[in-house]
Amino acid sequence: MNSKKPLTGGVLLFKVLEQQGVKHIFGYPGGAIMPIYDALVDSDIQHFLCRHEQGAAFSAVGYSRASGKIGVCLATSGPGATNLITGLADALADSIPLVAITGQVSSSAMGSDAFQEVDIFGLSLACTKHSFQISCIEELEGVLFRAFEIAQEGRQGPVLVDIPKDIQLAELPEQYKFISNTFREKTNKVADVGSALALLSSAKKPILYVGGGVGMAGAVNELRDFISTTNMPSVATLKGLGAVEPEHELYLGMLGMHGTKSANLAVQQCDLLIAVGARFDDRVTGKLNEFAPNAKVIHFDIDAAEINKRRYADVAIMGDLKANLPALAMPLNIDSWRNSCAHMHDNFGFTYDDYPQTNIYAPAVLNAISNKLKESGKSDHSVITTDVGQHQMWSAQHMSFTDPSNFITSGSMGTMGFGIPAAIGAQISRPDDIVIAISGDGSFMMNVQELATIKRYQIPVKIVLIDNAKLGMVRQWQDLFFDGRLSETDLSDNPDFVMLATAFDIKAKQITQKDEVTSAIDEMLAHEGPYLLQVKIDAKDNVWPLVPPDTANDKMMENS
Amino acid sequence: MNNYQLIILADDKQVVLERILQVTRYRGFLINGMNAKVNTGTHVATIELMISSERPIELLVDQINKLIDIKGVKVDNSASQ
Repeated sequence: MNSKKPLTGGVLLFKVLEQQGVKHIFGYPGGAIMPIYDALVDSDIQHFLCRHEQGAAFSAVGYSRASGKIGVCLATSGPGATNLITGLADALADSIPLVAITGQVSSSAMGSDAFQEVDIFGLSLACTKHSFQISCIEELEGVLFRAFEIAQEGRQGPVLVDIPKDIQLAELPEQYKFISNTFREKTNKVADVGSALALLSSAKKPILYVGGGVGMAGAVNELRDFISTTNMPSVATLKGLGAVEPEHELYLGMLGMHGTKSANLAVQQCDLLIAVGARFDDRVTGKLNEFAPNAKVIHFDIDAAEINKRRYADVAIMGDLKANLPALAMPLNIDSWRNSCAHMHDNFGFTYDDYPQTNIYAPAVLNAISNKLKESGKSDHSVITTDVGQHQMWSAQHMSFTDPSNFITSGSMGTMGFGIPAAIGAQISRPDDIVIAISGDGSFMMNVQELATIKRYQIPVKIVLIDNAKLGMVRQWQDLFFDGRLSETDLSDNPDFVMLATAFDIKAKQITQKDEVTSAIDEMLAHEGPYLLQVKIDAKDNVWPLVPPDTANDKMMENS
Repeated sequence: MNNYQLIILADDKQVVLERILQVTRYRGFLINGMNAKVNTGTHVATIELMISSERPIELLVDQINKLIDIKGVKVDNSASQ
């Protein structure tokens, strides 16, 4: 930081970011944020110029989710700010700590429908955990500290700070007294688990329902210790994948709409459901009043608003999982239930060898990538991001993850266009690890401009583009639930993806036949720079199993 | 439809009233009436909301309590039915 420069709002912003330990930020400049970008020139923080503000927000999300650090993104006023909104909504829905800085028109122009003016403060109410608009230079430092605190405390989420241009330019008065960072220490108070212990000790068929909150709480080790002590069967949500050791003999995989048969059947049969950082999302429960119909519920969560929101909890244990989960651990006498779950685990697994055609079976490709990472000892040092659609569910079903931070997908919001910028952020936060974005041809085009970011910084992400020339998941539902009346799901006029990637100096290859898969994966993983592997698949391939909407999870449709 | 009355104490911060109204609407409650005033000495706002919904009031109380500037939420049982 150049100390000779006057301490303006813009300079102060970077001073606080540096104090918060921020090393990398993602953004896009514009008129109302120019003083901040001017101050950036003298900062040690590395800025990544994305090619759309939505890309900046998703890169910040990917950065945060891969590293556990806070993600920071910047945008100008008006359209720059509104372009952030989808990313903020995604971060709110998946509880990801972000700080978004937006430039605003000068205070005197606010409310006058000025050029590139939008009420981003008002728009932020529904898509952030909290938001601020700075009204004077003296409050900027305190608000920024508070923004970082709010983003990370309790249930994490995005915080927006809107800074008018005149305040970015304003200088702090000489008598201004800097405040110290007053981040409050977390207190790990152990909740009273007496009632939960009584429920658990009398349960004959308990099961652990693991959500994204485990990873967010940094409680993966505590969860695994709990499983080790109880030797209890477990299932996971989409965002909980990676929390349980994937090889555990009683881990039944993902539950819910596209969950495994064994996970869904076991949950439907259990007599005690221990929800850990999970929120009974509609994609998990299916028909809510038929979900785990015989189970009592113990619900661990840090957010009081999740207790009894969709399913009554017989016992609620509020607070920090790291402190509370070990208090419930005890050996259990449930061998009959364990044997039943192990039987389901062994008999209802996925198979890959009976795909009848020479065409490529996407689940087999994804499983092969996952196995290749495992065989080469790189599972702990690899990150998979996905976009949204069939390829996302296939990734969740057919790949295995050793930590929640190694699988980054838009869970609650289900945002197409997430995968590529999230992979960019993940790769920047973990430069020595392998980052692979699994995308679909629909999703890929939604933030395709971020290939320019990959090119500019030579970010070595690998992109596996599962291409069926369709909006595959919507097509699947139209076939299954709308009498096959296909409506606006054909993407057969897609561009030449290999040529497109090549235009961004990204090495690319297309494969169309099953016997090309192994060598293509090897080539992709061996390539040092960015790489796009286009995998052509049959447009009629579906994701199975599938629990139809408003249906109990044990009434799933299977491939027949 | 159930009628409820909430008494909310909040720090007198930017857009706190808008936040409460947004959450109330989004979570499925109709606003039938409202009183709001600020104690300029303590900078604490008191907001009374007369609302109705088919949903249990606890769901809204928990969501309002999550808002950063909220000091407390009470259901006025004498006014609720």
